[in-house]
Amino acid sequence: MNTLVQRFSTTSAQSEINKAKALAADDQDFDDFAWGSEAGFGTIAKGVPTFSLPAVPDPRAFLRLHTDDHADPNCRIKIQHGTTTLAFRFKGGVIVAVDSRATAGSYIASGTVKKVIEINPYLLGTMAGGAADCQFWETYLGMHCRLHELRNRERISVSAASKYLSNLVYNYKGMGLSMGTMICGWDKTGPSVFYVDSDGTRLKGNLFSVGSGSTHAYGVLDQGYHWDLSDEDAQELGRRSIYAAGHRDAYSGNTCNLYHIKEDGWHFIGNYDISKMHYEGPGNVPGSENVGYGYDVRVVGRSSANPPPSAPTPVVAA
Amino acid sequence: MDHFPTNWGRPRNDTIDPYGTYPIHQRPKDAFSTGIQRTQHPIVTGTSVLAIKFKDGVMMAADNLASYGSLARFRDIQRLHPVGDNTVIGAGGDMSDFQYLQSILDELMVDEFCASDGHTLGPAEVHNYLSELMYARRSKMDPLWNSLLVGGFKDGKRFLAYVDLLGTTYASSTLATGYGAYIAQPLLRRAVEGNEDTLTKEEARKILEQSMQVLFYRDARSIDQFQIATVTAAGVHISEARKLETSWSFAEGIRGYGAQTQ
Amino acid sequence: MEHSFASPSGHPQPHQRHFNPYSENGGTILAIAGANFSVIAGDTRQSEGYSIQTRYAPKVFRLTDKAVLATNGFAADGNMFVKKVRQRLEWYRHAHSKDMPIRAIARLIQTMLYARRFFPYYVYNILGGIEEDGSGAVYSFDPVGSYEREACRAAGAAQSLVQPFLDNQIYFKNQTPAHGTSHPAHLPLDHVLELVIDSFTSATERHIEVGDGLEIYVVLAKGSTPQVLDRWQGVTEMTTTQDGERMFVIRRNLKRD
Repeated sequence: MNTLVQRFSTTSAQSEINKAKALAADDQDFDDFAWGSEAGFGTIAKGVPTFSLPAVPDPRAFLRLHTDDHADPNCRIKIQHGTTTLAFRFKGGVIVAVDSRATAGSYIASGTVKKVIEINPYLLGTMAGGAADCQFWETYLGMHCRLHELRNRERISVSAASKYLSNLVYNYKGMGLSMGTMICGWDKTGPSVFYVDSDGTRLKGNLFSVGSGSTHAYGVLDQGYHWDLSDEDAQELGRRSIYAAGHRDAYSGNTCNLYHIKEDGWHFIGNYDISKMHYEGPGNVPGSENVGYGYDVRVVGRSSANPPPSAPTPVVAA
Repeated sequence: MDHFPTNWGRPRNDTIDPYGTYPIHQRPKDAFSTGIQRTQHPIVTGTSVLAIKFKDGVMMAADNLASYGSLARFRDIQRLHPVGDNTVIGAGGDMSDFQYLQSILDELMVDEFCASDGHTLGPAEVHNYLSELMYARRSKMDPLWNSLLVGGFKDGKRFLAYVDLLGTTYASSTLATGYGAYIAQPLLRRAVEGNEDTLTKEEARKILEQSMQVLFYRDARSIDQFQIATVTAAGVHISEARKLETSWSFAEGIRGYGAQTQ
Repeated sequence: MEHSFASPSGHPQPHQRHFNPYSENGGTILAIAGANFSVIAGDTRQSEGYSIQTRYAPKVFRLTDKAVLATNGFAADGNMFVKKVRQRLEWYRHAHSKDMPIRAIARLIQTMLYARRFFPYYVYNILGGIEEDGSGAVYSFDPVGSYEREACRAAGAAQSLVQPFLDNQIYFKNQTPAHGTSHPAHLPLDHVLELVIDSFTSATERHIEVGDGLEIYVVLAKGSTPQVLDRWQGVTEMTTTQDGERMFVIRRNLKRD
């Protein structure tokens, strides 16, 4: 009986899968439109994305079997993940800071990932979870933000954009998408940050951190955060928080990318090597004292191996 | 939502729902609601197929057995099939899927003949057709459970390639499926690699016969009756079924396992 | 196709549980971008488990006069994916009477891979070629389509052997330049080719799934001279157009044991 209900119901998740299957069966035949410029759009050649599904009783279990390296480290298809991202709102706008490491199992697949996705000059999205999920859906969101502008002759609000994204991914709930993102921007209401994840959760807030290193980042972020932070101090807080996560979380690290969103849109502030920040500091940048974040500087003079810089270097007798 | 940080970015596991947060309609189904589902697996099966290139074309060998599990069920099955005048295919794996493939290919050749456009499908085209077909079926999770060798000779060119139930393809001057890939392939490579342009038809047949003999000694799903297909400029020729010359006297000398213990 | 393989009911029914539609065919691919060239290479061994299926199965494919795609992972998925990408590029050529620029090919590959998000192609792709501004480019992809433009990337069975070597020799990771000097931003072509060959001979020594043959595609930007290649043996020119980008293949033997 359940089977019968599932097969013919039009609202259940199973019927969604059936519809997707019907679409997937058609995806091979491209008609005339495939010869025109739409031919470049891949999944969205028909205007809406279409996905092919494996013809198994439980496509979710299938996907998990082949891609979940947590449940089975020997699974073949390793999707890249592992991250620290953060964003917070303050009087001077929004600070967005992320690390740049992508891991597949215990292998560091890349140390140069761009985890801030530039949706348009006023909107940024962050990437945590499946790299492809975030890249694809936030690019797709960018297309719809542009369409919104064309239809309404004004920029989309951060709230609307984030809701668009959360509604999009909610359609695929339970099918294995994995993304935890912060949609950040400046609109009529001023700076704003929304947390959106692949379950459809959407939260407005002042301060978020997402990913395996988020707990480390929160530790630094929470104690340093204040609404009235100066621009320089806010940027330094973002850097310092990502450094802390990169230092203590094995799945985060390599470099930190820092963005600042102001009324005129986002600005890329800089890329900082996390090891370098540990030993030498982020360099001569506003807000920084330009000393290493590591605790070496805090134990200066405590041992002969760590003399204060002013101490005369011992002269070795010739 | 799983908020434990190290689980971030991984596919969720819907079989565990610690907080009871999933909508009821997405809960894992009980075993009865989906009815009976059978795993597809091969039933009546053929074992290895061997093939090599030689001076004038391609030669292929397969025995005549179709097994039902460990039962030697059908002892006179032909596992080599001509496709047009320039191609032969040999199949291991499920024999009913192979028969289905034969009917498809025969129909295809009739359609091509009726087009009478001056073109005929050669071994490369047949192989490409089969690889698309096999890959399409695996992508539907409903594979044709075979490993196939496609050999042929057309326009002065030899062709020899492999395709299996996953759609995996490759070409080489010696090929072997099933057990043959482990037992016969090394023998074939030693005899053929580098000599493709000098081996005569007789030498090629000898190599295949010897390999079939070795296979028969060790492959428990094989039989001592086999056929050889030869494709040259003259067309496809598939031999009558022939008996392998075997000698078991060497068994007397084996010590250390089996009946003799000393 | 003439035949329809849908189940008789017309309603696609789920089939079975234990069929595994994936396999793994070994091998390694690698690509390096220079200032005005791009090098894309792959070994030619195809294996499954401990068996070598063939010693020559190409993993690097010419897409256009200025783009080359290397695939690694499950060979059937890889070959079929390349076939589909080529088909889409041909359609683009018919519609626009020009080749698709490489950054657009990269985005096309992302959407094509992501279309199979729930039934992924088990393929790691590396796209190499020349950008519209004449610079060498390398794009690397994960199986479901996330991608990034990089200066170099190794993927496949021996990626964990080759990538650290490239990090050290191309990005100069963990190297300190001699006093008063600095590391070059881009390496010259013949130096890059030496690195590629060393990467593969070394991977062949230490990884059982790598060996047999090596195919190196070299794409040169418009106007650059291929004289460096005179020094190299076994170079075949693949260029099909005049006064455009030029493409070459260098074939080498690797150890077959």
